[in-house]
Amino acid sequence: MRHLGILALAAFILLPLVQAVLLSFTATLPTDDVAEGTLGLMNYRNVLAAPELRAAMVNSLVYVGLNVALCIAVGLPAAYALARRRFTGDRHFLLMILVFRVTPPVVLSLPIFILFSRFGLVNSPVGIALVHCLFNLPVAIWVLESFIRAVPREFDETAFLDGHSGPSFFFRHLIPQIAPGIGVAAFFCFIFSWVEVVFARILTVTGGKPITMAIQAMFSFRTDVGMVMAMTCLSLVPGVAMIWFVRNHLSRGFALRA
Amino acid sequence: MRPHDNRAWFLVLPALALLGLVGALPLLAVINYGFHDIFSLTDVYWVGPQWFTDILQSDRFLASLGRSLLFSTLALAIQVPLGIGVALLLLGYGRQAVWGLMLVALPLVVPWNMIPMFWLGLIDAKGGLLGPGLAAIGFDWKFTGWHTWALILAVDTWHWLGLVVVLAYAGLSAIPSAYMQAAAIDGASRWAMFRHIQLPKIAGALAIVFLLRFVDSFMIYTEAFAINAGGPDDATRFLTLELGEEIKGFSYGQAAARATLYFLIVLAVVWAFVAATREREE
Repeated sequence: MRHLGILALAAFILLPLVQAVLLSFTATLPTDDVAEGTLGLMNYRNVLAAPELRAAMVNSLVYVGLNVALCIAVGLPAAYALARRRFTGDRHFLLMILVFRVTPPVVLSLPIFILFSRFGLVNSPVGIALVHCLFNLPVAIWVLESFIRAVPREFDETAFLDGHSGPSFFFRHLIPQIAPGIGVAAFFCFIFSWVEVVFARILTVTGGKPITMAIQAMFSFRTDVGMVMAMTCLSLVPGVAMIWFVRNHLSRGFALRA
Repeated sequence: MRPHDNRAWFLVLPALALLGLVGALPLLAVINYGFHDIFSLTDVYWVGPQWFTDILQSDRFLASLGRSLLFSTLALAIQVPLGIGVALLLLGYGRQAVWGLMLVALPLVVPWNMIPMFWLGLIDAKGGLLGPGLAAIGFDWKFTGWHTWALILAVDTWHWLGLVVVLAYAGLSAIPSAYMQAAAIDGASRWAMFRHIQLPKIAGALAIVFLLRFVDSFMIYTEAFAINAGGPDDATRFLTLELGEEIKGFSYGQAAARATLYFLIVLAVVWAFVAATREREE
């Protein structure tokens, strides 16, 4: 009975993915030397041969990498402050990050575009990395805060007694101690940022397109569905790798803090 | 007890500055635009609350609001119990549960704009794995309203079930097994154990799940637009689709007023939720 439930779940989750993977190995547009329906790696070869698609992968990796680094760097001190100190307005701060986390991107897309074009941040991965902090920084703070809270306070005090000051405490003691938490925070930031399309679309008008928008651009009057699916399957690789790396720490999650 | 120390603000300041730049500033701008008629960036006229009254008095807005609220309600009613159920199932597998977590997390890393494509491919009457079967039983998502609803709900559940499962499982697996054993010795039923031990322990995780799922389903756009663009006959015309039309039509003033209204609705729900959570804690 239990196994049956899991099997049904696996079928539900995997079916659309199986279909996509099958299509990615199938020639869907007949060409001179390949007949329609042939199985093989030609879609993947075509994707890797297209310079704009290779550039899109690099763009995506750059902006997501920047976003994760920024969220951790800015989120870690804030999470430490929330986990270890009370201060005037701490609950208001928690409420504020919750509100920003749940603000629908489409609400802010227009002014973000105007503001960022004034700063020259349109068509650049930096712009997307910055704006994704809107929903990722709160998540990073929640995750990191829960991990720091789980470390006994005596840990901090011992380090300070040993003569470690602020920065050296953060880098030499705290970060190694909560490394899994940083992994989980990076995972959640990754999954919300890698797949996002509203800001990614509005901030890449002519160039700097990430994977999501490059896939969008592949749809035309005669769409090569096989190639689209090959590109999509490649775009899953970093995400699946992320899931694999944090698999043993995923079960820490995050909870509402307000 | 944590010591009170306002110097902690220095640690929070970078986060505050960043959120001010990408959150507060654009939010103020969008509220401001909502009171203007915007022809171009240099051609802006004050119109007062005209857009707001227009929108609030239009039947289309109220109908879309109703549809979006219904969609959110259905999505939460399906995904939260289902996600908790799957998490409870996985809990029984001990260390093997990690494979289940990885499985349900897979859809979370699929680019949003490809999720509808996956499903449309799957149910394609010619080449899809499920298409011929669904066509045989008369499933017609293009022209039958409630079939489109069912499809969008299925797609949304596929996409987000993983988040519910991961967060619920996180809460459940943190409960010391001694609690459950003690309850079992006292002869508590499975339901009583869930209701009085497990559910209270995962309340914090469920609260964030509720909020995230409410907002994301309430503001669903990518999937709903790609699947049937609001059709058939406006049956799946959600709030965001109207906003999308206005932005595409360059009616920026109206779009900003509408965005402000959506933000206020979301804010009201969050506020009510947080107030309820705090009351329960105290």
